Amino acid sequence: MKKKLCGILLKLALVLFGAFLATFTVYMFNLENKLIYYVIRPFLNKHYDSQKRDRRIV
Amino acid sequence: MKNPVTAFIDKKLKKLDPLWQAENGVGGQRVRFHDKTGIAKYREWRGVHDTMVDYLAWLNNLKSMGLMVAMAPLPVLKGIWEYRWMGSYLGTFAFIDRLYQGYRGPELKIAHMHMHAIVQSLTKKIALVLSNDRRLGGGPLTDRMVPMDEVLPPLFMAGFPNLIPIPLQTLPEFIICDIDQQLEPFYIDVAESFGLAADVCSRCAAETGVTFNDDFPLIGKAFLSTNMPCNASEATSMFQRRRIDLPDFPVTLAMIHNEPGAHPYSTQMLRDAIKFIEEEYGEKYDWDALFARARHMNEQNTIELEKWDFFKTDYSPLSGISETLYRLYGWASVNGQEDYFTKVDRKVIKIMRRCYEKKYLPFGGKTRHRAFLWGPSAVYYTDFPTWTQNCWGITIVLNMDSTMGHNMISTTDPEQAIKDLAEFSEKGVMRHHAVGGWDNVNAVWDWAKRFNCDMVLMNDNVACKGMNGVHAMMEEQARELGFHFIFVEHDLEDCRTISRRDMRNCVNSYMSVVANEEPLDPTLVDFDDSEAW
Amino acid sequence: MKDLRHLIYFENLLQEANNELVSQAVDEGKLALGYNCYYIPEVLLNLPGCFSSRLRAPRCQSADVATYYMTNRNCPYVRSILERAIEGGYNYLSALFGAEGCAAMERMEEHFFLLNPVKNDRFFVTIIDPPMKEDQTSLDYYKAQLKLKVVDAMHEKLGVDTSEEAMRQAVAEFNELCDIITEIGNFRKLPNPPITGYEFHVIQLVSQACPHYLILPYLRETLEEIRTREPEPKFPFRARIILAGSEIDDPDFTKLVESCGAMVVADRYCFGSFPSRERIEIAEGETAFEAIARHYLHWNQCARFMAGDKIDQRHTELKRLVDEFQADGVVYESMKFCEFWSYEKVLASHVLQNELGVPCCTIEKEYALGSVGQLRTRFQAFVESLEIKQIQAKEAGR
Repeated sequence: MKKKLCGILLKLALVLFGAFLATFTVYMFNLENKLIYYVIRPFLNKHYDSQKRDRRIV
Repeated sequence: MKNPVTAFIDKKLKKLDPLWQAENGVGGQRVRFHDKTGIAKYREWRGVHDTMVDYLAWLNNLKSMGLMVAMAPLPVLKGIWEYRWMGSYLGTFAFIDRLYQGYRGPELKIAHMHMHAIVQSLTKKIALVLSNDRRLGGGPLTDRMVPMDEVLPPLFMAGFPNLIPIPLQTLPEFIICDIDQQLEPFYIDVAESFGLAADVCSRCAAETGVTFNDDFPLIGKAFLSTNMPCNASEATSMFQRRRIDLPDFPVTLAMIHNEPGAHPYSTQMLRDAIKFIEEEYGEKYDWDALFARARHMNEQNTIELEKWDFFKTDYSPLSGISETLYRLYGWASVNGQEDYFTKVDRKVIKIMRRCYEKKYLPFGGKTRHRAFLWGPSAVYYTDFPTWTQNCWGITIVLNMDSTMGHNMISTTDPEQAIKDLAEFSEKGVMRHHAVGGWDNVNAVWDWAKRFNCDMVLMNDNVACKGMNGVHAMMEEQARELGFHFIFVEHDLEDCRTISRRDMRNCVNSYMSVVANEEPLDPTLVDFDDSEAW
Repeated sequence: MKDLRHLIYFENLLQEANNELVSQAVDEGKLALGYNCYYIPEVLLNLPGCFSSRLRAPRCQSADVATYYMTNRNCPYVRSILERAIEGGYNYLSALFGAEGCAAMERMEEHFFLLNPVKNDRFFVTIIDPPMKEDQTSLDYYKAQLKLKVVDAMHEKLGVDTSEEAMRQAVAEFNELCDIITEIGNFRKLPNPPITGYEFHVIQLVSQACPHYLILPYLRETLEEIRTREPEPKFPFRARIILAGSEIDDPDFTKLVESCGAMVVADRYCFGSFPSRERIEIAEGETAFEAIARHYLHWNQCARFMAGDKIDQRHTELKRLVDEFQADGVVYESMKFCEFWSYEKVLASHVLQNELGVPCCTIEKEYALGSVGQLRTRFQAFVESLEIKQIQAKEAGR
């Protein structure tokens, strides 16, 4: 039982550590902003520029 | 007492710290960035402890954004697809990084507490608005929302507990311009393509462009517009009321608001507005509900006044944009309506008291000048105070807009409460000191003296007719009173007219030529961030 | 047409703010009270012993000193007025009654007490906070502001009689002036009017820039003259237009429009006769002061009004003038750097053209009429487009 619990805790710790590593890497190397700036925003801007909007004064 | 392990790591990695680099002449803040784009190659190394504080705050904000999507997955995705301004919110993380460059210790902790308060509030608001936006299919709360002009303080609406006041322009224009300097020029161009003169205030031109481009969410049954803060803002309402096509009521508060005669008029105007909402929404005004929220606003203002006492000293870990942005959002947009902000204030004031007791010198004790920031600030350069701090050691002690309505509101007597609310509302964003007569503008010197400032940075919005009208008088006053005084030219929401770089150059010129000082971080003196968000 | 007998005299009166009649009135012991904006009721400044002087800066070529104070990014009208004040052009004034009609105007009026440019010991400045709607709350505020900062200030600081009788007398005299100007203006409704837009502009301006009691005899004579004046054998213009928008106090601007072939048949701008020359009617049970406040708030067409009914009034009033004066189109102008009229111009041109079917040309102008080549081209093109519309309408009717 205790061994099982230790196993679960170890796995949990590993998962948490893995999550920390992954997120900290994204954080430290600013990966999310690079993705947004170089990929997502240009794609969205293209979409916005091609949108047909009801553009009028009133 | 510093942990020996983290102290060891900090010692080993100190060369990665841009503050250390600048101090030792081997780099600085700007080295981390790609030219023009403002995208950092890597985030700032602030030492183990502060990097972890920043990292956890990043995670916390990420969680709020995740929650926003989880609360209304489809409307949020539809919103991103529908509204150009929604795409700009993706720049939030880079925005936060920009604001808090060089922040350490309690400054950083408070800054992130403040920022998270804004992020959690704003994300909830975005989810709420998009999931009830008629354009995206509407929702159960669509008709319970009251779209109102963003610069009309919404506290008085707390007397309608079944209704949800939504500052209409905040999401598509006011806040988002802080995050992405490239957005509003698009809307300004739309407005000008219909013949609007290019010399009007760019904030109002942008609002008009949002209107013409059909980019406001469609919510509510009636609209509250206002004459606040100034001329162009009033004029934009002409278009908004027609385009939104809902019954509207202009809440026209006194312009010359520092006279006794102004308050009875503004009081009656608020009464009329309440009556209008009662009729349009079939709701009865509930004074007890107002009192409940007014208590929060009073507590926030009480804490604010205590903060001011600390601002007067050299030991305040709260200054610059961390102070300004929180006060601006917390006052103008939240206005006592969210408990979270009261809780944050209680925590922050405790930290500030501790710092004062310990005589803690913020920003590594590198402050050279204490400055009061006056006049409407450039919304596209929100991190300007951070730059003045990091580059020249100029601490922005307080911003004009932070002095907004701080009178207490009665929580027992409806008659007194509405009078208090009128006075409180008259002194809203860009209004308390920019509008209503010379004395209000000229008050800057007293404020600067009270807060022990030796410098006044005067935001010079090139399209603001009111502030342009006092240009020379301010300069003459500064000379007479012996303040360091810098006009910082900007175009509020149009970074093409006067770029961030141009704004920096206003300060650079003064500091190098007039003050004859050397920068703290030479990498920050001149750089190109024209393609940055 | 035969020249109007007093036209040259009127034109000369417009060359200076402190003109011959203003000086005469001051010499006779009358108090000159300055104002800029329609929000300050002209009639109140014409209480016994006083006369109104709507501030202009004729022949202002440069506003360098005022530009130093207010920057070159501000309204050229307010800068020109401040410049003229600094030059000593308003030393005849005993007071300036300002209105926070717009930020630029307010700042300019503030310089009148910050710099003390008016060298007159009695001189003082007050600035009212004018409302932006016409509802009861706004009317009450307007009355309170006028009472405190105009009527009481005149009484307490200058000893002016502000009694009910005095006000009724001022209203009666004011109405006579309005009747004369209105009758002269109404000739412009005729298919071939015996007066040009330029002449009317001069007449309207002298009625605002000179003491009423001194200019009235000339205006009466001019009215008589126009009643019997023979118009040109054939209408000498190619189109009839209404000039609308912000401040114009230079008749040469009207002359410029007319030189391009369009007669200005109605003047709906600041300093124009719509509004300003409507009779003030005192209702039963109302004091003269109440009637004045109600009248001025109702007829005010300022672009700063925010309420829907007042915004609509700006456009319906213009349509009424188009119909009554048989105008072919509207030239909508705004002063450079004017926030309010820049916005209103966009809305009004849309409403006029797309909702009311009135052709409209929008322009931006400086205060001093300098290089006019671009404006001339715009006006000529507009006149041509109106002519084409007339031809098309005729062909469609055939």
